[in-house]
Amino acid sequence: MFEAKNISVRYGKHLALDNVSLSVGEGECVVILGANGAGKSSLLRGITALSPRAPGGSVHYCGQDISDVPAFGIVELGIAHVPEGRGVFTKMSVEDNLRLGGNPVRARGSLNERRDEVLEMFPKLAERRRQIVGTMSGGEQQMVAIARALMSQPDLLLLDEPSLGLAPIVVGEMFETLKRVRDTGMSILIVEQNVHASLNLAARGYVIEAGRIVGEGDANTLMNDPVISEAFLGH
Amino acid sequence: MFFSTLVIGLVLGGTYALIALGLTIQYGIARIMNLAYGEITIAGAFFVFLLVSSMGLSPLLGLVLVVPLGFALSWLLYGIVFHPLVKRASHAGQLEIDSILVTFGLMFLAQGLFTMFFGSEFAGYSWLQTPVNLLGAKIAAGRVLGLLIAVLIGGGLWLAMQRTRWGVNLRAVANHPEFAPLVGINRNSAARVAFGLGGAIAAAGGAVMSMYQPFTAVDGGFLTMKALVIVIMGGVGNLGGALMAGLMIGVVEAYVSYAIDPGLTLAATYTIFLGVLLWRPKGLFA
Repeated sequence: MFEAKNISVRYGKHLALDNVSLSVGEGECVVILGANGAGKSSLLRGITALSPRAPGGSVHYCGQDISDVPAFGIVELGIAHVPEGRGVFTKMSVEDNLRLGGNPVRARGSLNERRDEVLEMFPKLAERRRQIVGTMSGGEQQMVAIARALMSQPDLLLLDEPSLGLAPIVVGEMFETLKRVRDTGMSILIVEQNVHASLNLAARGYVIEAGRIVGEGDANTLMNDPVISEAFLGH
Repeated sequence: MFFSTLVIGLVLGGTYALIALGLTIQYGIARIMNLAYGEITIAGAFFVFLLVSSMGLSPLLGLVLVVPLGFALSWLLYGIVFHPLVKRASHAGQLEIDSILVTFGLMFLAQGLFTMFFGSEFAGYSWLQTPVNLLGAKIAAGRVLGLLIAVLIGGGLWLAMQRTRWGVNLRAVANHPEFAPLVGINRNSAARVAFGLGGAIAAAGGAVMSMYQPFTAVDGGFLTMKALVIVIMGGVGNLGGALMAGLMIGVVEAYVSYAIDPGLTLAATYTIFLGVLLWRPKGLFA
């Protein structure tokens, strides 16, 4: 359903992502594991054109070459990106943020139903629809970010370290919610440092190091891979 | 006298607020510090002046015509002048400096053109001068109508920004332009529309001003400065704040002019501005 071939991202002289290829199947949940600065965020930003890709390489989605689609056109195609740091509009209300998520034409027809579904998934947000997002806790802001992405009715959801900076109990809740999202049949590509929880969520994974893919396999294999345990679990 | 001075101040402040709304939109959303902003206002005023004095048309018709013209002019200006600056700017600070320099030049260019075509005399027309009684204050009907129009445009705009998809998108760009693509917003075209919208409001403000006050070809600079003071007092990009600050400045000017000396109004405005900059640099309502 989704395939990136040989994409690279360069910030000035620094090559953050070096010729990376990966794919996500229909309804599949794929995790990208890697340490800080390995290029995980650059990979997602390169996919959605939020960071310009270096020449060469291609991105295909649902049989379509989307390499030249600008960043603002990506969500319209059905790819929603929850970036690192959440990317929410902090001076606006929860309601406004969700409404913005419903911007793509593909989502406009069923906006109210969609919002009800999303708020059912995040009951805390339902109570706080009028609250200004910047005044909420980190976990709540992360929920707003994910809920906003879901409002666009995506077929592929890109999540950039959703657990970063959250209290352990909130992380647990969030992964439970993500499981429910996954079980609706949505494809998910998630970047995480929380190896255990994300391998429980995902069916398959890639390992990224210094901007290159250095390993891949199904979740069970990766979970038992000594290299991964050593690199990310610290034992 | 207390009441009538208040009413006079509100009428004055209404036009200030209206003019400042456009600048806060241009600066807050399009991120262009437009020092030639007041020249769009004066262009709007001259346009209505021409319609009224040489064709005998109603100033209200002029107002209706001047809004799309102000939009089109600013929209074109953005495409020709500012789009290249946005493209080459490596960060927001550079765009700010570049746009200040460019619009400073545009200001003189526009003032030169106005002087060439219209001379340096006061321009104006008389319209609805009959005084009406408002809470004991006798005020020309044209001024009261001007206030009503300013409130209608300002209120309508505020509602549109709160309620419509279009308005919510513009607020999102003002809040975090870098995240706009995540929700399908093309931030460059949003900035261009915002700049056009600001120009439409500037021109509307000029049309309203011309209804009760004579003006000259070089008045734009003062208008820009006054609008800038109001924008910063209200908080950049904050429409409600600009409305409140505009009315406040109008009322303060009216009282200073009545109780102390008409020559001190500008000094009073800048004293307030200085206080805001020192103690509430993010605006009175932040």
